[in-house]
Amino acid sequence: MRKILIVGAGQAGLQTGLSLLEHGYDVTVMSARTPEEIRGGRVMSTQAMFHTALQYERDYKLNLWEDQAPKIRGVGVSIAGSEGGRDLDWVGMLDNHAQSVDQRIKMAGWLELFEDRGGKVIFHGVTTSDLDSLTRHYELVLIAAGKGELVQLFGRNPDRSPYSTTQRVLSVSYVHGAERRPEHPDMDAVRFNVTPGVGELFVIPGVTLSGPCEIPFFEGLPGGPLDCWSDRPAAGEHWKRMLELMRQYFPWEYERFKHAELTDSQATLSGGYPPVVRHPVGELPSGGIVLGMADVVVANDPITGQGSNNASKCAASYLDSILERGDRPFDREWMERTFERYWSVVEPVTTWTNAMLQPPPEHVMNLFTQAAETPAIRQRFVNAFDDPADFGNWFLDPELAEQYLREVARG
Amino acid sequence: MVTHSQTQRESRSSRVRPYALTGGRTRSRHQLLVETMISVTEYDRDRAEKLLPESRAVYEQARSPVSLAELSATLDIPLGVIRVLVSDLAADGVIFIHPTGQAYSYDHNILERILDGLNKLSA
Ligand SMILES: Cc1cc2nc3c(=O)[nH]c(=O)nc-3n(C[C@H](O)[C@H](O)[C@H](O)COP(=O)(O)OP(=O)(O)OC[C@H]3O[C@@H](n4cnc5c(N)ncnc54)[C@H](O)[C@@H]3O)c2cc1C
Repeated sequence: MRKILIVGAGQAGLQTGLSLLEHGYDVTVMSARTPEEIRGGRVMSTQAMFHTALQYERDYKLNLWEDQAPKIRGVGVSIAGSEGGRDLDWVGMLDNHAQSVDQRIKMAGWLELFEDRGGKVIFHGVTTSDLDSLTRHYELVLIAAGKGELVQLFGRNPDRSPYSTTQRVLSVSYVHGAERRPEHPDMDAVRFNVTPGVGELFVIPGVTLSGPCEIPFFEGLPGGPLDCWSDRPAAGEHWKRMLELMRQYFPWEYERFKHAELTDSQATLSGGYPPVVRHPVGELPSGGIVLGMADVVVANDPITGQGSNNASKCAASYLDSILERGDRPFDREWMERTFERYWSVVEPVTTWTNAMLQPPPEHVMNLFTQAAETPAIRQRFVNAFDDPADFGNWFLDPELAEQYLREVARG
Repeated sequence: MVTHSQTQRESRSSRVRPYALTGGRTRSRHQLLVETMISVTEYDRDRAEKLLPESRAVYEQARSPVSLAELSATLDIPLGVIRVLVSDLAADGVIFIHPTGQAYSYDHNILERILDGLNKLSA
């Protein structure tokens, strides 16, 4: 049995650990927090996940909340115009539903499942000096510690990281009692609202500790009106402030949220981080090497809601590389190749996500406008949230976009 | 947590067994705290020789009950690593993790050793 250590009990670490167990590997996960602490802690994300990522979970029977979480059937786009109106407002249908399960429920449950299925868990925040001596006790050490301090083991790759500063200031609340979007009262959809010069408001239907909920999520432009969380307001004040900003900048969403209430006292989050791609192999003073995964090595801004999807895809890709390796050593060359294989999946997501942080170019506004009239365009756009590689074929390039619009017009 | 140190000593091997069988699951919440005590169930020289040097050092030290803090200080191995080594040895059923509880707070000797270990760690 090959011995593998995984540091970090998030989407990437636990999905990898759980699937490796199924293939008979001896897996130890080190988690900074116990399931009880995770459940009782603060929300961590909005975690909307699309079909491909969800299917990786189903393949290993990890979809324990599939029946509880609202089925997200579409993605909508609204762009504010003048005087509280909207220049644009449409929704496109997903071929397969998306879902968002509060990571507090999911990671706590997965940790317990991992133990039930015979994995070893050690509750301990890992330091680099721990790792230095641990590498020789395992054949492979994966670092899946998200954006925590261990990322310092991995150097930033400037060729793949166009930004060096925070591009959006994030702010999230989980609430009960919101009304459905009036445009589609019978259907759950992720709503993507843009107010130029201010930022974005996502709304994601999810499931939390106390049942189905809605998750409003601001992506504020730094220095703009949505960048106002540095005083770390208490939960109640946080939601009140979000609501007031909604009333001012996204009045159509405010209408359905004005009577909503926080799901619990830990249901708010604010912060921000610069998007970054890192080198995948970390070297320790002892000469031992470790392989970074998911957010550790590719941390995109959440503006496109792809981080958990990427973490799931990374877990699936690394799993394949590990299985294919058989009994041969997990050396540096294998690590580099394993990452490049994942990079070929995540590169299009990174390119698209980095593009979405800029004001939309003319051809994108043109596509969005035409999409209001043409269901096929809407559908192609929203289904690319599941398969972002498709954006490169039409959305990101002005000429390809024009060509695509001509094809659509021909029918 | 309530501990019954008397009955425990007698039934130690039967307590270790289910833990070993489940492959070291911590669901029973072996809290590996600095003051957690461990000891070798039945010393086995052959077994010791097969261990990696750090694990072997832990195994040898635990021939008499010892706390994680003491182990870390005496062997000069980071606490996080001690936790992993201990967890692995327990999963293999060769050491016993004593339940954390009040039992030791009355044993001044052990308390002093734990404190001493902690002092050395922070020094
Ligand atoms: C506001 C916000 C909204 C988002 N919305 C979405 C969305 O809608 N859709 C989407 O797909 N993605 C979204 N994301 C991104 C997504 O949450 C992350 O990309 C994803 O969780 C990354 O998974 P991971 O496993 O790499 O890391 P994480 O989920 O961060 O897990 C890392 C784990 O490692 C642990 N850890 C850290 N350091 C140590 C240590 N030293 N020792 C032991 N354990 C350690 C942490 O406690 C944590 O449990 C969002 C992110 C944010 C911030």
